[in-house]
Amino acid sequence: MALSPARIGIGGPVGSGKTALIERLIPVFESRNLELAIVTNDLVTREDARRIQRSGLIDPNRVLAVETGACPHTAIREDPTLNIQTADQLVLAYPGIAAVIIESGGDNLASTFSLDLVDYWLFVIDAADGDDIPRKKGPGVVRSDLLIINKTDLAPYVGADLDRMVREGTAVRDGKPVLLTNCATGEGIEAVMDQLVHDVLFA
Amino acid sequence: MPETLTRILGYASDEDKAEQLHHLQHCSAVDQIVLPREDTQRHRLRVHSQTNREYLIALPRDQHLSDGAVLVLESDRAVVVKMAEEQWLRLLPGSLADAVELGYFAGNLHWRVKFHGAELHVALEGPESSYLNRLQPFLDAKRVQCLHG
Ligand SMILES: Nc1nc2c(ncn2[C@@H]2O[C@H](COP(=O)(O)OP(=O)(O)OP(=O)(O)O)[C@@H](O)[C@H]2O)c(=O)[nH]1
Ligand SMILES: [Mg+2]
Repeated sequence: MALSPARIGIGGPVGSGKTALIERLIPVFESRNLELAIVTNDLVTREDARRIQRSGLIDPNRVLAVETGACPHTAIREDPTLNIQTADQLVLAYPGIAAVIIESGGDNLASTFSLDLVDYWLFVIDAADGDDIPRKKGPGVVRSDLLIINKTDLAPYVGADLDRMVREGTAVRDGKPVLLTNCATGEGIEAVMDQLVHDVLFA
Repeated sequence: MPETLTRILGYASDEDKAEQLHHLQHCSAVDQIVLPREDTQRHRLRVHSQTNREYLIALPRDQHLSDGAVLVLESDRAVVVKMAEEQWLRLLPGSLADAVELGYFAGNLHWRVKFHGAELHVALEGPESSYLNRLQPFLDAKRVQCLHG
């Protein structure tokens, strides 16, 4: 029996690479014969949805945008109704999908997802934003199910110590997984997919 | 691949279920999955039961895990969800001004709280130390007291 589609959140600070991660995951889902739909959240535009729709990676009808208007975290935490409805709409249209991925509008280190909306969520941080981010214990870093440290290629330019970021991230997260990615090249994406399959896709 | 549980069949308090479970309990054939409150909101979970068996839970959106949810009920075995007891931090503000500030502070941090007379109770959804760290200035200045027991 087909499982009802999983809902996976992707949150994180502005520009950390959330959309880039989704663009990297789409072909990996495809290579594993898993279908996908996507909801993006932006403040007052549909920029991210358009970008994915035009990427040629996925049927553009499978990508819908939510305009949050105000603080992006309210649409994924305090009142996720709009996102729930949008995800429902995609599941109705594409019942065979394995997952709906919901990208939150870029926010700060405190943004978290309501578990009414998603079953599992990732938090993406930028290695070049400072290697002290994990130990500052922002709620997104601490509470997410999977922490992604992206833009590993930029670490040398800002003197970020990736090993330490992973070590401190793992410590403040009570051992929950921390993975490194470089979305510019695709490095680390298969490991992210393996983690999703294990933790939430069950495929 | 662990067994995948895809439906809530009913609740342990349902009359017919209670009887069957009671019988199975006598043969130690009821496996419990203990979940923190937060996890019961999820529709997908990989979990270990009390007998250390691994299960995948994948429920339809209109079903919600709660205490007593029955996920397997067969003639010789059952699997039932038990919600872990919640831990609360009990805080007593020293003055009205302290209470107002503590309330504002807790709201700002999106802590889940309940009110109990003059005390503010905060649900612990992570390690207690991380809550106490945040409260340190209040505690140090003796503006808020943390009650124990
Ligand atoms: N060098 C490098 N650049 C990256 C990487 N990942 C993303 N970028 C770039 O970083 C910028 C921001 O990436 P996005 O994917 O748009 O980030 P986002 O988190 O979706 O941003 P918002 O949705 O606006 O919050 C883009 O210019 C990406 O090309 C990476 O791993 N390495
Ligand atoms: Mg984006």
